[in-house]
Amino acid sequence: MPKKTEKKSTFNPTEHVYVPKHEIVSDKEKEEVVRKYNASPDQFPQILVSDPVVREIGAKPGDLIKVTRTSQTAGESIFYRFVVVD
Amino acid sequence: MAFEESVKAVGGIKFAVFSPSEVRKYSVVEVTAPETYDEDGMPVQGGLMDNRLGTLEPGQKCGTCGNTAARCPGHFGHVELAESVLHIAFVNNVNKLLLATCRACGRLTLSEEELDKYRAKLKEQNVFTPNLAEDIAKEIIAKAKKVKTCPHCDKVQYTIELTKPTIFHEITEDGGATRLLPVAIRERLERISDEDLNLLRYDPESARPEWFVLQVLPVPPVAVRPSITLESGIRSEDDLTHKIVDILRVNQRVRESKESGTPPLIVQDLVDLLQYHATTYFDNEVSGIPQAHHRSGRPLKTLSQRLKGKEGRFRGSLSGKRVDFSSRTVISPDPSLDIAEVGIPFEVAKKLTVSEKVSSWNMDKLKQMIINGPSEHPGANYIVRPDGVKIRLDYVSDRKTVADSLTPGFIVERHLIDGDIAIFNRQPSLHRMSVMAHYIRVLPYRTFRLHPAVCPPYNADFDGDEMNLHIPQSEEARAEALTLMRVQDQILSPRYGGPIIGAIRDFLTSAYLLTKEDTLLTKSMFTDLALSAKYKGPLPEPVVKEPEELYSGRQLFSLCMPKDFNYIMTSKWIQSQRRSEKDVVIKNGELISGVIDRAAIGAEEADSILHRIAKDYGHEQARHFLNSTLSMLKAYITRKGFSYGFDELELSDKARASITEELDKAYAQVKDLIAQYEAGTLPLTRGLSPEDILESLIVTELSRARDRAGRIADRNFPLNNAGVIMARTGARGSSLNIGQMTAALGQQSVRGERIHKGYHNRALSHYKPDDKSPASKGFVRSNYRDGLSPTEFFFHAMGGREGLVDTAVRTQQSGYMQRRLVNALEHIKVEYDLTVRDPDGNIIQFLYGEDGVDPAKSDHGKAVNVQRLVDTAAIFGTETKEKVDVEAVLKKYKGDLPPKLYETLKESFDASSLPKASVAKVVENTLDLLVKATVEPGEASGIVAAQSIGEPGTQMTLRTFHFAGVKEQDVTLGLPRLIELVDARKQPATPTMNVYLDKEHRASKESALEVAREILFTKVGNVVDYTAVEYGTGINLVLSKARIDERKTTTEDIAAIVKTGKRTVEVTGENTITVNLEGADLSALFALRNKLLNMRVKGIPGITRITVTKEDEEWFIQTSGSNLAKIIQIPGVDTARITTNNLFEIATTLGIEAARQALVNEIMGTLEEQGLEVDVRHIFLVADLMTSRGYIQQIGRHGIAGSKASVLARAAFEITVPTLADAAIRGEIEALKGVTENVIVGLPIPLGTGMIDVFMEG
Repeated sequence: MPKKTEKKSTFNPTEHVYVPKHEIVSDKEKEEVVRKYNASPDQFPQILVSDPVVREIGAKPGDLIKVTRTSQTAGESIFYRFVVVD
Repeated sequence: MAFEESVKAVGGIKFAVFSPSEVRKYSVVEVTAPETYDEDGMPVQGGLMDNRLGTLEPGQKCGTCGNTAARCPGHFGHVELAESVLHIAFVNNVNKLLLATCRACGRLTLSEEELDKYRAKLKEQNVFTPNLAEDIAKEIIAKAKKVKTCPHCDKVQYTIELTKPTIFHEITEDGGATRLLPVAIRERLERISDEDLNLLRYDPESARPEWFVLQVLPVPPVAVRPSITLESGIRSEDDLTHKIVDILRVNQRVRESKESGTPPLIVQDLVDLLQYHATTYFDNEVSGIPQAHHRSGRPLKTLSQRLKGKEGRFRGSLSGKRVDFSSRTVISPDPSLDIAEVGIPFEVAKKLTVSEKVSSWNMDKLKQMIINGPSEHPGANYIVRPDGVKIRLDYVSDRKTVADSLTPGFIVERHLIDGDIAIFNRQPSLHRMSVMAHYIRVLPYRTFRLHPAVCPPYNADFDGDEMNLHIPQSEEARAEALTLMRVQDQILSPRYGGPIIGAIRDFLTSAYLLTKEDTLLTKSMFTDLALSAKYKGPLPEPVVKEPEELYSGRQLFSLCMPKDFNYIMTSKWIQSQRRSEKDVVIKNGELISGVIDRAAIGAEEADSILHRIAKDYGHEQARHFLNSTLSMLKAYITRKGFSYGFDELELSDKARASITEELDKAYAQVKDLIAQYEAGTLPLTRGLSPEDILESLIVTELSRARDRAGRIADRNFPLNNAGVIMARTGARGSSLNIGQMTAALGQQSVRGERIHKGYHNRALSHYKPDDKSPASKGFVRSNYRDGLSPTEFFFHAMGGREGLVDTAVRTQQSGYMQRRLVNALEHIKVEYDLTVRDPDGNIIQFLYGEDGVDPAKSDHGKAVNVQRLVDTAAIFGTETKEKVDVEAVLKKYKGDLPPKLYETLKESFDASSLPKASVAKVVENTLDLLVKATVEPGEASGIVAAQSIGEPGTQMTLRTFHFAGVKEQDVTLGLPRLIELVDARKQPATPTMNVYLDKEHRASKESALEVAREILFTKVGNVVDYTAVEYGTGINLVLSKARIDERKTTTEDIAAIVKTGKRTVEVTGENTITVNLEGADLSALFALRNKLLNMRVKGIPGITRITVTKEDEEWFIQTSGSNLAKIIQIPGVDTARITTNNLFEIATTLGIEAARQALVNEIMGTLEEQGLEVDVRHIFLVADLMTSRGYIQQIGRHGIAGSKASVLARAAFEITVPTLADAAIRGEIEALKGVTENVIVGLPIPLGTGMIDVFMEG
């Protein structure tokens, strides 16, 4: 079993082609985003704290994650998710 | 009209449980008598038909409100129960409460500190712990259940046992069981404090738990349970009435026996009977008790059954409302109609009406209509005077006088006339084009007539199909129909942004015949046809002047196109010859070369001439184009004639001979394969049994032979063969069909395999057992023209039967998938900021489709067809030699353009040589078109997405497995895979991975195999040749040398693996391992052997098979079985590209965003594999919705549809009654924000035109 944890640390989900760029949004920007979309945080899409990418970037519940997807239609598209407890 | 006195709107609906006192308060009569009517037929006072409960007969007055049947809303009564009984819908809640609370003090059996902790947690519940309340309630119950002594009063707690459905026992310490009667239960429930209930997510205001025990039963008004009088004069009562009679009878007996001091045991039996009747009154499908039956033996339909299911109140009556002003009849084709018209019979036109308000402008017309009356066609059926009195013209003898009395302000309900608007529909209504607005043409005969070009959107044919017609009655409804629903506005499908309406069948044949190279028309023919296209204008120059003026067919076709139209494309005709030059050239509205066929004007063909006209010139122009071309093509083919007959299926002797030869060759080949198999020399492939390999080799060989035979036939026919024309222009049929008619039918299959079932080891008794020859397993070498042999015919019938069953199953499955999709997505719309949200404001997408473009307004999925803009500009502009600085021009617009469009523009400009002015112009145009292609706020994007994925479901195959190549593994595809995806199954039916490798390992097959061996799961049993178990010596594992080598392991390795615990392990031979267990008997040894065989040697659990494949110059591994978490740890694997079709594994190891991407890829891949075109934006929406909560939610009752905010929407979907009971317990309020809810209460739905409101100040 200890072998497993050792190996696990070498794998980084963010390097996978399916995983778009995740960033923690600064508090100031977070406020702006929430205001821009005229929605309360619970109305935003969510991402679990247990999500491997969230763990990788060290986000905590209440953080807003900005996801930059490569989009088939637009080329690039921005998505936001609030980190929540599962 | 007295109703107008109090017009109120429904603002919301609160759900709650009635308390006994409320039941009594709302009751107008206590029902005591189990009788309904006395001998005179009068309702018994205090009986179930008491006139105070309301009245049924039109003449009678209600005993409570004095209204007649039409106006009386009905009033509730009540029954005082002699003994309390449990309400069946709440039994589980009662059980949980009893388990979690103290039997003495009624508190939750958790210490005050603990409860305080939970309360504190609840209070600070923030938005980042969405499921907190639910989790806490569950946790408290789970914990409290186990407590042995109450921390509040120190009383010992007993376990509660519920014997389904309604009997509770308390198990005391000594193991004895005491029955808990409802009265006792009620007392306990009464003691539970409101505070504790709040923790369990109860709303004590709306539902005190003691109310779950019934002391008094409400009796619904008679209007709810009307009695019917048969012609014979016998009254027949409603099922509910019967049930309440039962309750009343038993209730009376209980009361009497209690009063007369009957032994308690007998009284208890009677009380149980009362409980039974009360239970079945609410729900007659409770498991564990017998159903209550009617005298006739039919089970009674009680309250629960009335609400539940497809025909229940929610789905059958409230969501599916019946309408007036509608009509249904058989449809037939009429190519003389406009595509936007529908022909209706006079009979229908005289029954359906529209109300027209009289004004000075239409006075004369309406007067004449009134004079014509109800029976002469453009007549009228009713008039409404300004004072609101309605006169039925049937009863008016002197219509002339009535007509003369007409003044402005009257309303005339006149017959339908040409040009009125109607809504036309064919079920199943799978997408929005199943309901379109047509202009009416009143015609003789009794069918609805429609243009064949609109068959594809309705999926209609004329083999007896019926369709429905509705007449919108208000100005608003007509305006909406006219602006949104007309046929021409639906030419472009939102599913893929291309035309779904267009030419079909003979129109296409005709188009080909007309526009092929050598078609020449005389002047009279030309002018006639031009006239049928309603062409007005000058005639072109004839192509041949001497000896007679002759025109080309292309000139005729050109008349229908806009004069400034330019386009080049490849026709189907050329594609069918595997060529790809752009043969169709249109210059300034002139068809220069190429033939017109399906690719140019066909239905369901994107990037066609029709598509270009619809996009560039607008819908109205597209309708004119279709109308004129189609009527001209119809006229042409009618004159020319076109037929397909037996003689056109005749092949030359030479072709026949070579087909025979081809098939003989294949038969010989198969015979050879069988011989090899029997000799055991068949080359083995990894992981497949020799039988399977033989089968797949035979199947491929035979299918190739059939294709070759078909090709020979196809080549043998001249290009003017009618069948070839139809197949190649896309009018009807395929070259496969021609091959089957003239060459060979090919392999018949059942369940995707050659037919082998029927007799023992053979399909038919005409063959020897275990015969593997083509003919014995359903290969048909005859063709339809020559006829099939009896055995062939039978095999064909077997295959044909499977096809029929398949279709029946598929429609059901895809129908249910569609229902779930629509239910999950119906309430989702685009908001004014172009975010996509549900009615509670939860954001699903931040920009619809990620670029804000509506697929219906897109150009085949693209926001703007830049290439076309550049091409058009190139035609009109002058070319320059100097290089234009594209970047500089574009920079200005960068902010307004999505990145992708920016790139496309740049690339197109770089490839062209447009002058600077033209470049700027194109960019301006692009921006213009981008705005035009942007979604409109209010767009029901959810429903459109659901329809776009659901509708093609019907066209998918049900075949689960698909042999990709010869020896590949099976993968679930088609409809079952799509259902699996939207179901979000934890484990796909056929899990598989694509394991890409790092640089060192992807280069060669050998290095790839190295990694593959580490991945493939190997257990001892996989390398064992045979085992021998002997008492004394132990277990001899004899390993297979070949398999050990193949899996790259050694006898010693295996010995080491096997050696654990007290076993003695010895390598006794080169390939033999002996294992013994001290003092074990024979059966223990056998058990041990089985255990040994299942021990892991190496590899990753779950991976049962591997295939090493090469693609794009790189080797990678395909697996059967999936285990992402483990495989990424294997050295040599490219962890950045590895994929699996198990979405949950992706979600747990790569995160939700990766899962979303994988979901999009999987859905898209499944649809594409089936050749179905669906815009990605629809799939984005579904994927974003399914992943919006951070984990993958199912489209269905356990996922999105089950977690909707609306009670009514959930109840209308599935699990109706428990949903309502739950809503009552929580005191939920229906806010009426979604779609289903508003349909149910009859309010406008808040999407599209329905979400607009007028606000007035002051």
